[in-house]
Amino acid sequence: MCVEPAVIYLRYAKRHLCRAHLIEDIEQRVLLTVENKKLISNGDRIAVALSGGKDSTALLILLCRLLPALKDVSLVAITIDEGITSYREDTVHSAEDLTRRLGVEHHCISFTEQFGDTLDDLLKGRESQACSICGILRKKALNIGAHRVGATKLATGHNLDDEAQSVLMNVLRGDLPRLVRNSSNDSSGMFIQRIKPLAYISEKEIATYLMLNDAWTSLPECPYTRYALRREVRAMLTTLEYRYPGTMLRLMESKRKIEYYCAGSMVCEPIRRCRECSDPCSGDICQVCLLRHSLRL
Amino acid sequence: MKIIFPDQSIQTLDRGSTPIEYVLSDLGINSLEVIVSRNGKLVSEDTVVGADDEIRIIRIAHGG
Repeated sequence: MCVEPAVIYLRYAKRHLCRAHLIEDIEQRVLLTVENKKLISNGDRIAVALSGGKDSTALLILLCRLLPALKDVSLVAITIDEGITSYREDTVHSAEDLTRRLGVEHHCISFTEQFGDTLDDLLKGRESQACSICGILRKKALNIGAHRVGATKLATGHNLDDEAQSVLMNVLRGDLPRLVRNSSNDSSGMFIQRIKPLAYISEKEIATYLMLNDAWTSLPECPYTRYALRREVRAMLTTLEYRYPGTMLRLMESKRKIEYYCAGSMVCEPIRRCRECSDPCSGDICQVCLLRHSLRL
Repeated sequence: MKIIFPDQSIQTLDRGSTPIEYVLSDLGINSLEVIVSRNGKLVSEDTVVGADDEIRIIRIAHGG
C-alpha cells in the first residue's frame, strides 16, 4: 500500500495515484495500447505529429521513454505551422525546444510553403469553417511531411477525450462511415498508417503527467476553436463524464462494437484515387483538391 | 482560502475545511477540466483544503 500523497483521483477507476505511480501507470498503459493494437513494428520509423501543445508533447516524451522496449524503432517529429497569428508561434517554439532537449530530429512544414498562404489569410470570410478547412490541409501537410522523412507510421496525440468527442460528433452528424472508419487499418496500403498511442489516456492524466515531468507549458488557445462543434461536444461530454464516470470509455467501447458488427459490410465507400492529384480518397476528387478549387489555391 | 484562477486573478473565499471538488463546483468549474495545486503541490480533487491554503487552478483544455 503506497502512503505517498495522491496527485490525481481517477474517478472512472476509483483510484488515487501518487506522482510515481501515475507516471508508471500511464507509461504502462501506453505500452499496452501499442502492444495490444500492434501499433508499432520492428524497424518502424515513427513520425510524431508535434504541434507543441500538451498532447503531442506528452506523446513524444512517452515514445522516447518507451523506445528501449521497441526494437529498431526511430522517431522523427513533424510540426505544421498553419500560420495562426498569436497562437502557433508559441507552440512551434515549444516544439523546437522539446525536440532539442530530447535529441529528436525535427522538421517544420508551413501552410505558406505547401498551399501558398497562411491559414489566417485562407480563412478570411470563412471563419466558421476554420476547423474543417484546417483539418483537411493539416492532414495533407502531415502526410507530405511523413513521406518526406521516410516515415512508416504517423503518430498523433489524440487522447481519450478527443476520441470520445469524435465518436459523439459522428453520431450527432449521422456519419456512420466516418464512425467506423479506422485510419490505422483501412488504408489498403495507400496511406501512411496513423497511430494513436494516447487514445485511452484522459486529457487530465496527460496534463498531470506533463506537470509531474516539468514539461507543462501554459499555451494560448487556438482562436478558431470558438467556431467548432467540438467545443460544445467537449463541454457536454466533460459534464457527463463528471456525473457518470466512465462515459468516455463506454463511448469508445460502443465504437469498437459498431466497428465489429459493420466489419465486412459496405458501410464505407471503397478507396479510390483522386482524378486530379491521384491521392487516395473516397470520391472522384479528394477533399484537398475540392478545397483548392473553392479557395482558388 | 486564497484562490488563484487560470487567468491569474485572485479571490479569497471564507471557507472552513472543504474538499477541493466542492470549492470548484461552487465556482462553476468542472474538476475534469483543471488541475489544482495546494500550496504549490499537485493534489487530487477530493483533498480537503483549509482556510489558510493557497489553491491554484490550472486549466488544461487547449484547442488545436
